[in-house]
Amino acid sequence: MKISYRWLARHVDLSGVDPQSVRAELTLSTAEVEGLEPFLPHLADVTVGHVLQREKHPDADKLSLCKVDLGQGEPLQIVCGAPNVRAGLKVAVATVGTTLPGDFRIKKSKIRGVESNGMICSERELGLGDEHGGIWELPSEVVIGQSVARALDAQDWVIEIDNKSVTHRPDLWGHRGIAAELAAILRRPLRPLDTSLPAAGSAAPFPVRVETQLCSRYLALEIDGARATRSPFWLRSLLLAVGQRPIDLLVDLSNFVMLDLGQPNHLFDRHRIGASGIVVRAARADERLTTLDGLERKLEPSDLLICDGPEPVALAGIMGGAASKVTEDTSQLLLEVASFHAATVRRTSSRLGLRTDASARFEKSLDPALPPQAAGHFVRLLQSEQPEVRVAAPPTDVGTWKDTSKIVQVRGTRIRQLLGAEISDDAIADILRRLGFGVDLERECMSVRVPSNRGTKDIGIEQDLVEEVGRIHRYGNIPERELIGALVPPPRDERWARRQLVRRIEDRLAGSARFHQQISYSFVPDTTVERLGLSDVAHVAVRNPIQQGAARVRRSVVPSLIALLASNRRWREEVRLFEVGKGYEPRAAGEPLERHEVALALARTPRKGDARFDDNALSLLQGIVDDVVRSLGLVECTWSKARAPSTWAHPGRAVHACIEGCDGIAAEVAVLEPGVARAFGLVGELESDAALACLSIDTLLVAPQRATRYSALPQFPATRVDVALALPEDKPAAEVRAALERAGKGLVSALELFDVFKGGQLAAGTKSLAWHVVLQASDRTLGEADVKKFLERVEREATALGGQLRRD
Amino acid sequence: MTARPSGPFSFPESCLSSECSSLDLTHRPTPVVPLVAHEFPPMSFDCQAARRLLDEILTALAHAPASDETRALLERLGSFSALSETQFTAAAALETAGLALGSMRLVPKEQRGLVGGKANALKNVAEAALAAEKQHAEEQRLARERAGTGFDATLPPAPLAHGSLHPLTQVTRELEDLFTSMGWTILDGPEVETEFYNFDALNIPGDHPARDTMDTFWVDTAPGAPRLVMRTHTSPVQVRAMQRLKPPFRAIVPGKVFRNEALDASHEHTFHQMEGLVVGRDISVGHLIGSMKTLLRGVFGRDIEIRLRPGYFPFVEPGFELDARCPFCKDGCSVCKRSTWIELLPCGMVHPNVLRAGGIDPEQWTGFAFGLGLSRLVMLRYRIDDIRNLLGGDLRFLEQF
Ligand SMILES: [Zn+2]
Repeated sequence: MKISYRWLARHVDLSGVDPQSVRAELTLSTAEVEGLEPFLPHLADVTVGHVLQREKHPDADKLSLCKVDLGQGEPLQIVCGAPNVRAGLKVAVATVGTTLPGDFRIKKSKIRGVESNGMICSERELGLGDEHGGIWELPSEVVIGQSVARALDAQDWVIEIDNKSVTHRPDLWGHRGIAAELAAILRRPLRPLDTSLPAAGSAAPFPVRVETQLCSRYLALEIDGARATRSPFWLRSLLLAVGQRPIDLLVDLSNFVMLDLGQPNHLFDRHRIGASGIVVRAARADERLTTLDGLERKLEPSDLLICDGPEPVALAGIMGGAASKVTEDTSQLLLEVASFHAATVRRTSSRLGLRTDASARFEKSLDPALPPQAAGHFVRLLQSEQPEVRVAAPPTDVGTWKDTSKIVQVRGTRIRQLLGAEISDDAIADILRRLGFGVDLERECMSVRVPSNRGTKDIGIEQDLVEEVGRIHRYGNIPERELIGALVPPPRDERWARRQLVRRIEDRLAGSARFHQQISYSFVPDTTVERLGLSDVAHVAVRNPIQQGAARVRRSVVPSLIALLASNRRWREEVRLFEVGKGYEPRAAGEPLERHEVALALARTPRKGDARFDDNALSLLQGIVDDVVRSLGLVECTWSKARAPSTWAHPGRAVHACIEGCDGIAAEVAVLEPGVARAFGLVGELESDAALACLSIDTLLVAPQRATRYSALPQFPATRVDVALALPEDKPAAEVRAALERAGKGLVSALELFDVFKGGQLAAGTKSLAWHVVLQASDRTLGEADVKKFLERVEREATALGGQLRRD
Repeated sequence: MTARPSGPFSFPESCLSSECSSLDLTHRPTPVVPLVAHEFPPMSFDCQAARRLLDEILTALAHAPASDETRALLERLGSFSALSETQFTAAAALETAGLALGSMRLVPKEQRGLVGGKANALKNVAEAALAAEKQHAEEQRLARERAGTGFDATLPPAPLAHGSLHPLTQVTRELEDLFTSMGWTILDGPEVETEFYNFDALNIPGDHPARDTMDTFWVDTAPGAPRLVMRTHTSPVQVRAMQRLKPPFRAIVPGKVFRNEALDASHEHTFHQMEGLVVGRDISVGHLIGSMKTLLRGVFGRDIEIRLRPGYFPFVEPGFELDARCPFCKDGCSVCKRSTWIELLPCGMVHPNVLRAGGIDPEQWTGFAFGLGLSRLVMLRYRIDDIRNLLGGDLRFLEQF
């Protein structure tokens, strides 16, 4: 919302308070000021000139040769093309060197052989509107040689108020409201404003029927003798300053009253409204109205209409209709000033995408006492320009509005306690009175009379008045305090535990595992969902997505990472990403199920065929999951083939990690499903060895801690034996491991698979598993005989497994 | 090496030998033994004294009873005695001493004391000389190892891949640590939130215009079911916290929030906030100011001037916008848009209706709340000019942190 400094000065004396100070005062006490700009700053560079003499240009019929007196020095010779230039006129002269809007710099020039030393300006050239019939004819009383800005008192600044910061203050949606704030802050009086209605004629009041509760007050006033003439400069320049295009006096004054008092109003051409009068009612289903902007609007029963008999003529509080608008021929006006239900106006205007200056104000809950003031203000302003204007009939003023002024009890102690500032009751009363509140100081508390313009919504309880006192006292005057309280650690609840767990996992993954942490959107695109074959799975979804196909909320964090693999593989041989996040699963009713997960993604250039058996993404991720679980101090996880793997998982290469002592899967780790990999672009140059892991924080949180027990350091040296077993291809390594442990008869203290091999001299369908075995006894040094016995037992176990101990 | 912080010391030459390769460069190197000692030759073998001793042994043995063994011994010893000065080394002397001592049974009893004494003396002289030589040789070897040439200190260190924590995590943790150190609790709340917690409980009823200013994602729910939203702020956790915790308490809530806004360099539909909430006896605006100053001291490492100005948020009364004096300039810069103030966070005193919604009696308890924009803080901290990078998932961005 734009506010004019000069306009404010109509209501409060701003002498000695420059626009920057106004900005600062409003910022610290009232509202957020987004900007401060001089209004038409070049008006200060343009000089009032007096055309002494005008001759025809010797070489051009349409050009004039003027001698212009600028109050000092010799008169300038200026060539001018405007038809209305004539001797005796006061004009606006841009001298050589001046820059006009549009970066138009005035230079000394020769026009058809005649020297021209400047330019006589039109209003349009000065940014003052669309008028371009000729040069700007200044009033005859202006002083020659002064800047136009000074001579017309048009120097102004535009203060931009952030609308969001005054959504709760309907009283601040007009200049007088802002001026009242300044008056309170600066301790200056607000200038009185006569808004009483001049004497009315004796015609019968205009018929109005309000058929709905949503219009609490409707004031209609017939005005005779008004003409849609051009507005005077003071009015046009003020409107221009706040970004309103001047139209004609009637429209301009209607706007002016709204921008002055904050009360929107509407002018109808009285002749275009039927004799049965105005009806205010709810719209009927499928009713239509063409608004002033030329668009036909489809209405709903929740919309509020102003009707001419049965015909809608305006969308109440938002915009008039095209049919009844005021035109140049209008002489009899019907002025509407009303109070409409705020939420109704807001809903209609947001549904239709039709935000107007009027709707913005109505939706703030305007003071129902305003309509007669606005009507009086309008008529008085109109009469000062057109004295022949008359109020034809007493106003029709109908509705069920109630006085919104109220009494609120306030305790000085409460104000001091909430602000943390020592402000005496007297100082409090003084601040409130300056703001227009009535205050009765009583023994225990104050009775504060809230005026109707603050009582619609803004001020209702004691705490609201704490703000009033605080902002005028200034928050900067409140001393800072330390929080004081009992020194107790925060509760060690589930949230605390989860946060600790998450931190340790993050540190492990970003540290030794060398993964990069990603944080993704919670939305998952439909394309991702489709590629993962999850289209039929229920997702939480929003009704108004940012764009088509972006409505779903992820059920799991994993898809977010899958979608990032190809783009990152373009730049990197190896992509290691992890994300800690939440997934949501919809439930029939109520809040969705929330899952806390850690997802890991690893994709890299595939290894050559001779790579170690465990040099692959799946194995690495399993190792990382093992490491994370171990580092959390939990019972070690056990791996098994995934029974119902996720859709992103390779159905044959998916494993689940479980932790003994707790239900649920701690982690799912799998090679990326090959079809999904292709769908996500991991083909050709980007073909990858890709695997993903999904750890359930919820499961890890309830997993039992590993009991760490000290065992004495070995007294006798260990013996290391390497064994290789040739076995049928499908024999699981876990069985072999168990067999080796059996063969050790309690002597195996460590066991490591270091090679998996097929082919070569091995028979088809056979594989070789090679192990480092560490044998150790607690009571003696093992000798060759022990090793020999061990190998004999291994041989027997190997045979039992359908294979043999390799001797090569 | 050039990338390491340069300390006030340099690395001595001797440290650049291979043994020093695992030196912890962040520690001050131990002082090095000066090379001066090696410039002097080791205590030399006194050849003449040794030969004198040998001759004396020979003289004494001359009186020994003749036998083949005696003759052979005298012959061996004599051959040593005939060696030139350069040939008669400490090792040779030690050998003669050994021969003499090993043949004591050939020496007549009355001479054994004399011969033995001489032989032992010869042995001592030789051993001392040999030890000195050995030490000298060792010192020379060490000196050579320490000297090490051809070392390029600018060769890159072994390329160990690194991982990273997201900048949002890093900044969040800093703040969490700051607040927990002052006894605040860290809370969490759902991203998919009920209309009640997101709006109604926060004094933003259905018709409230403030709902329009928070472009809300509405979740598709069955007709008649309670309405759900993607939470538009972390504030819903305020009421959840009040219902769960008994006052007094202090809590922060970091998390994701959602606004239905078009994306550009400074607008995201998903961003991160950190809510703060304190409820206690006689909590005042003064406490809010004090806490916010502490917060900024933690974030920027020094005192930052702040100002509160009126701001409107339905769940606080009075409500404020908190501006911080721009930490990047003295008289205006692009970050503060030449104003020297940075709009940092909305805050205020908890509205009594919100306290009531949380089951807390506003006559007994008061509180303050604030909503810090974590995404914005991260952008300020690292001077990130495009907010879309934060959640974009580009490794080239993530690897920088
Ligand atoms: Zn700055």
